[in-house]
Amino acid sequence: MPETSTLSDDFVRELINVGEVDILVGVPTYNDARTVGQVVQAVRAGLLQYFPRERAVIINADGGSRDGTQDLVRAASISDLSVTPDIHALRTLHSISTHYEGGPASGLALRSILAAADLLQAKACAIVAPDSTTVEPIWIDRLLRPLLRDSRDLVLPVYRRHKFEGLLIRNLVYPMTRAIFKCSAHEPYPTDFAFSGPLGSRFLGQDIWTQDQGLHGTELWIVLSALVERCKITQSFLGVKTRSESAPADLVKAMRESAGVLFASLETNFLAWSDSRDALEAPCTGCETTVSLEHSRLNRKRLHQMFAFGVSELEPVFLSILTPPTHDELKRLARLPEEKFLYPEELWVRTVYEFAAAYHKAVIGRDHIVQALVPLFRGRAFTFLTENRDASAEEVETNIESLCQAFERQRPYLLEAWDGRK
Amino acid sequence: MAAQDGLWYKDAIIYQVHVRAFYDSSGDGNGDFRGLAQKLDYLQELGVNAIWLMPFFPSPLRDDGYDISDYRSVNPTYGSLDDFKAFLNAAHQRGIRVVIEMVLNHTSDQHPWFQESRSSRDNPRRNWYVWSDTDTKYKGTRIIFLDTELSNWAWDPVSKQYYWHRFFSHQPDLNYDDPKVLEEMWDVMRFWLNWGVDGFRLDAVPYLVEREGTNCENLPETHGVIKDLRKRLDKEFPGRMLLAEANQWPSDLLSYFGKGDEFHMAFHFPLMPRMFMGLKLEDRKPITEIMKQTPTIPDICQWCLFLRNHDELTLEMVTDMERDYMYDEYAKEKAYRLNLGIRRRLAPLLDNDRRKIELMNGMLMSLPGTPIIYYGDEIGMGDNVNLGDRNGVRTPMQWNGSWNGGFSDADPEMLYSPLMLNPVYGYQAINVYSQKRFDHSLLSWMKQLIRVRKASSVLSRGSIQFLYPANHRVLAYLRKFGNETVLVVNNLSSKAQAVELDLKDYRGNILTEMFGRNIFPRIGELPYLLTLGPYQFYWFRLRRI
Repeated sequence: MPETSTLSDDFVRELINVGEVDILVGVPTYNDARTVGQVVQAVRAGLLQYFPRERAVIINADGGSRDGTQDLVRAASISDLSVTPDIHALRTLHSISTHYEGGPASGLALRSILAAADLLQAKACAIVAPDSTTVEPIWIDRLLRPLLRDSRDLVLPVYRRHKFEGLLIRNLVYPMTRAIFKCSAHEPYPTDFAFSGPLGSRFLGQDIWTQDQGLHGTELWIVLSALVERCKITQSFLGVKTRSESAPADLVKAMRESAGVLFASLETNFLAWSDSRDALEAPCTGCETTVSLEHSRLNRKRLHQMFAFGVSELEPVFLSILTPPTHDELKRLARLPEEKFLYPEELWVRTVYEFAAAYHKAVIGRDHIVQALVPLFRGRAFTFLTENRDASAEEVETNIESLCQAFERQRPYLLEAWDGRK
Repeated sequence: MAAQDGLWYKDAIIYQVHVRAFYDSSGDGNGDFRGLAQKLDYLQELGVNAIWLMPFFPSPLRDDGYDISDYRSVNPTYGSLDDFKAFLNAAHQRGIRVVIEMVLNHTSDQHPWFQESRSSRDNPRRNWYVWSDTDTKYKGTRIIFLDTELSNWAWDPVSKQYYWHRFFSHQPDLNYDDPKVLEEMWDVMRFWLNWGVDGFRLDAVPYLVEREGTNCENLPETHGVIKDLRKRLDKEFPGRMLLAEANQWPSDLLSYFGKGDEFHMAFHFPLMPRMFMGLKLEDRKPITEIMKQTPTIPDICQWCLFLRNHDELTLEMVTDMERDYMYDEYAKEKAYRLNLGIRRRLAPLLDNDRRKIELMNGMLMSLPGTPIIYYGDEIGMGDNVNLGDRNGVRTPMQWNGSWNGGFSDADPEMLYSPLMLNPVYGYQAINVYSQKRFDHSLLSWMKQLIRVRKASSVLSRGSIQFLYPANHRVLAYLRKFGNETVLVVNNLSSKAQAVELDLKDYRGNILTEMFGRNIFPRIGELPYLLTLGPYQFYWFRLRRI
């Protein structure tokens, strides 16, 4: 394989056989055999039902699965070689798989898919997570239609999630993105989303692929890039999002991929977000309530303990990152018993903004800064769970909205901290 | 010449022509047999070796001659029986066979047989047609001309009964349950066979017999009629040919070949729209799928392939989804839609794109079957949808850029149909004379295509083996006959394509491109890599030298 290419010769040969397409659906995988079959079948059904005339391809970028994931994706092909009597398709549908080097990493997978989309001149490109057990054929329509019909640049999903799912998104990534970039995108770090061919080519051309954000959290990075570019964005309601049960979430990793990428984007795009530009519209098609209320059990006690432990253990680090008033307030909170513990939204916003400023100033190693936010987030998560334990869906949405407004109110605080005035 | 080679129809290249539309020798505004005879040199030069004449019998012409009022004569507008004979002899002298139309299923309501039949319920010919007191019989039968007919029954005010008609109400169906009808129709066929015609294109054959509780198509009794006619033909006129017009799915078509004892040839109706579909989709899937469904036919039989004809591009043998697609892609304007089809000629259907026209003709000539060229398509004539029904694809042949396009000396107002006049397809832009002057005209190219096709029997008689390269925009197949093998590679795409072909069974063979006769690299161990320009196709002869 040529050193300069990220694509294997076999993959390029397969792309030649696919030729120019209208639609490309990318499925990044790594050992997803348990769910990916269902996902690609839904993708295929969506393409046949909603885009029967468009030239389409399913591209799987795999990080080295050993469980047969790639075979399951390839099986979704429709061709004249293997006629499936119950499938009525006007045209051939290629479903091809490539193993990218250096993985598994979602950014590397995304890069392979973007490269394929660019080579195939795809007009619209959707990414679908391999572990979305609730994926329906209509997702394909809702993700791609706004690109093809309305000439939108980027389509982001809106899901109905359990009120205690996506705590990091709801308490940090969504409200901060909304406040800083002035765009109310509910899922700025999506696993199912779509973008136009030209926007995909611009993503591919970014100089990020050897950096952290080119490996992990890349989806968030490119969404933030689209916000900076003032792209035409639409949100599509997809319904319930449930992912297959996998290993317990690694919160440090999640923090790096979300807050770390968000902070890095602030650093790169300071001029774009710091001016007083107008809000960027992101209308939502078919949006319904985003919160569901099924029974869920979370260990709040442990969150509280780890917050207190972190505040104590990382005091030297926090001295570098936080202003004394904020630090003092956190120390006070850490001493509170569980039943009296409350991490107020204004304090949480101030904390996050001080972390972002510290990241900008690189007061210590940036990765250490991001990691240090983890125990504090646990404290905020404890409060979110407590506040919303008995809340209705509407009340949860009201509380999230309140937090967003707090992030927006304190935006000037971030700018001051950024300039070193705090 | 009929008895020289019993399988002549397999090697035929048929030119479909309407006498009325080809050349007017008398100056009355209608083409005629003398005119057609004068243009035989043109057809010989083109390279065709068979002519299929559309109905030329006396007729009220309410369905362009498919409503026959006398089966044993020539419509006086087109000449006399002697004129026909002179034309036939002249064609045979040039090695061109003549296939004529035979409408077995129905007559005109002006035919004396029907006039007698309707005259009273006691008339000896009463039973030659299908009569009923009610219009509720054979309810399971579809209506073919959906745009004009509401029922397959029509009320006859004279004899006060309903009569059965599968097509227009002025075309009553003959009743083959009366043995005298079969005897009479065979006598008609024998009449023309004695004159020397080489075969018949039998119109609307699936509908000959009606039975309650069926869809009145493809019935065993209908096959019985065909078998009977074929037996008589083989006995009295060996070497003559029967061609079936049966717009049916391949599996239903198979029965029309019987065990080689019904039709010699049948049109492959389902393939034609799928060639257009494959081209528009830039995907071989519709073509290979229908070919997979195409059954093996008896050795002495042959498919008849066509791109366009005198009717609409029929979409009966496609799925609803495919029909919608075809309408949207090839007939966006509703005016182009007729019944379940599209009333357009080849060139306008293909956006007048020379590359597409060449590719489609290339496939026509290389897929297994006997190709039919519809008159005027060899020069890329256009159509006129404003002429109603299917008359827009039946305008006068365009011979040159002068008076009436060289078709007739009559005043233009006297022509049976207006000429094409628009700047793109009009006779001043598209005509035989101007295209004969240039080696790279469509006409010259068609001559070359036919010449190469005729140079060997492999494309007319050979077997087919589809290759399935991973590039679905490329349709590739091998044709084999005896020791000869030809590789055909078609790029259905508007963009250049690379394709790798699995030819390992032919390792060591050298490819010779059949048009330019240049050699291409020898086939080795690796997949054979070819690149093709937009809509390009190759025919290669494979030889181990």
